[in-house]
Amino acid sequence: MVLEATLICIDNSEWMRNGDYAPSRFQAQTEAANLICGAKTQLNPENTVGVMTMAGKGVRVLVTPTSDLGKILACMHGLEIGGELNLAAGIQVAQLALKHRQNKKQQQRIIVFVGSPIKHEKKVLEMIGRKLKKNSVALDIVNFGEDDEGNTEKLEALLAAVNNNDSSHLVHVPPGPNALSDVLLSTPIFTGDGEGGSGFAAAAAAAAASGASGYEFGVDPNLDPELALALRVSMEEERARQEAAAKRAAEEAAKKEKQGEQQSSSQDVTMTDQDSVPASEADDKKKTTKHDEGLLQEAIAMSSTPSYPSGRDTNMSEVAEDDPELALALQLSMQDGTKDAPSHSDMSQLLADQAFVSSILASLPGVDPEDPSVKDVLTSMQNQSEPQEKKDEDKASKEEEEK
Amino acid sequence: MSAESTTAINRSIVDLLDFIDWSGVECLNHNTAHSLPNAIKQGYREDEGLYLESDADEQLLIYLPFTQVVKLHSIVVKGPEEEGCLIGPKTVKLFSNREHMGFSNVNDFPPSDTAVLTPDNLKGKPVVLKFVKFQNVRSLTIFIEDNQSGSEVTKVDKIALFGTTVETTDMKGLKKIEDNH
Repeated sequence: MVLEATLICIDNSEWMRNGDYAPSRFQAQTEAANLICGAKTQLNPENTVGVMTMAGKGVRVLVTPTSDLGKILACMHGLEIGGELNLAAGIQVAQLALKHRQNKKQQQRIIVFVGSPIKHEKKVLEMIGRKLKKNSVALDIVNFGEDDEGNTEKLEALLAAVNNNDSSHLVHVPPGPNALSDVLLSTPIFTGDGEGGSGFAAAAAAAAASGASGYEFGVDPNLDPELALALRVSMEEERARQEAAAKRAAEEAAKKEKQGEQQSSSQDVTMTDQDSVPASEADDKKKTTKHDEGLLQEAIAMSSTPSYPSGRDTNMSEVAEDDPELALALQLSMQDGTKDAPSHSDMSQLLADQAFVSSILASLPGVDPEDPSVKDVLTSMQNQSEPQEKKDEDKASKEEEEK
Repeated sequence: MSAESTTAINRSIVDLLDFIDWSGVECLNHNTAHSLPNAIKQGYREDEGLYLESDADEQLLIYLPFTQVVKLHSIVVKGPEEEGCLIGPKTVKLFSNREHMGFSNVNDFPPSDTAVLTPDNLKGKPVVLKFVKFQNVRSLTIFIEDNQSGSEVTKVDKIALFGTTVETTDMKGLKKIEDNH
């Protein structure tokens, strides 16, 4: 938890209008800067962050180092693009601003975004770098924009002059589909010098990638051990339940397939068996698709009735009842265990998508995702997507055979 | 001459090492492998292999706060044995009671005293300071401006401060005394 005062230098030169980083270089930069501010303040509440621009009408400090995130975010609005980057003056002004920080115990750090050609000579930059090192100021450089050879060389010389014991870093971000902020998340700029920032980085990466960031169930066991444990236990229970349900389904499958009619019971509905897959089930596939929709409608209809008995089959559900987020997490965990290859029909995929369905159900008033009937519907649909995919594969192979 | 009179009044001139407040000690432009404790701490500073070395250029800025008010009498700055006359410090400026100085403002106000070190000094001969200027020292900033030969790097083997303490209450030492005198 290093106590640090950081100054972020933004490149708002004309080159930032370029759209090679979506949506535009300037916006990608602002996002990255915002992310950095959040990360630094989270690392240590006494950390301060300031912002300044290096191009435009001239080098200008927008916010002096402060721990107030709102002020920092607000000043990012209404920034104008124009002019040319003045790196030397920018870094020197940043150094001055840090020198006059309120808490002298903070370590000094400057984070510079460079996305346009540097007009200074390498020697000038080296001298500045040495001065920074002498005053024990660390420097992080984010080099984006064109792959300009001259720039890279100058920045590497600058880094070599400043770097003291690996406290300064240089990051190259080539233009591409990944957002600037996402690429930066994995760099030492965010992860501090190994320790500290990894918690924030992991959480942000999870949000960005919209999925588990390498942790099971998408929850860091360090951050929330009880939740992680709860998810694991519920997952195991669900697996056991699904196996029992699958067995039941296998028995009823043959019967129901022949009937092929809609059912509105709270039992596992239309459990198409994995094994018996005749070619004529092309129609059945459509029916089951509609079936899913019908099931959903029925589930919704059922759930909108009042005096809803709440399921108490597991201890988990009791806990989950109080906590809708936990319920959602449970659904997610179930889905994690059974996620498969992409299927044909988008609709069936959507409906098979536990998270999507449960989120719909959760948003409906009066629906309790913990109700066993609702749960059964969900598991049936989800089990259906599996056999459906197998069915499709078999169907395809059968068609080839027939040819 | 003044040196003789001060030695006559030699009462309790001690090594002020014990009164340095280590939590606030700072050193700018030092090489991280060769840092300040090497030059000041007991045991370290006697060791020839351990020295303080400058990094980006030959200047060094050392800030030493004290746990209580002291009067500074003299200072010993030792350079490394072999090359001592070359890369040991030459001009040393001392500032008393100035906090958080940087290289940019060392020239903004006059030092409390300046010492130009001779090779003798670098062997261990103490430099006597203007005692009157250091009567009420809470913190000392040592600015090593250049070295003997003008080389890129300055090495310091040992820094020792000598003086007396002023009767200041050390708050940590305050203990409840039994009422039996």
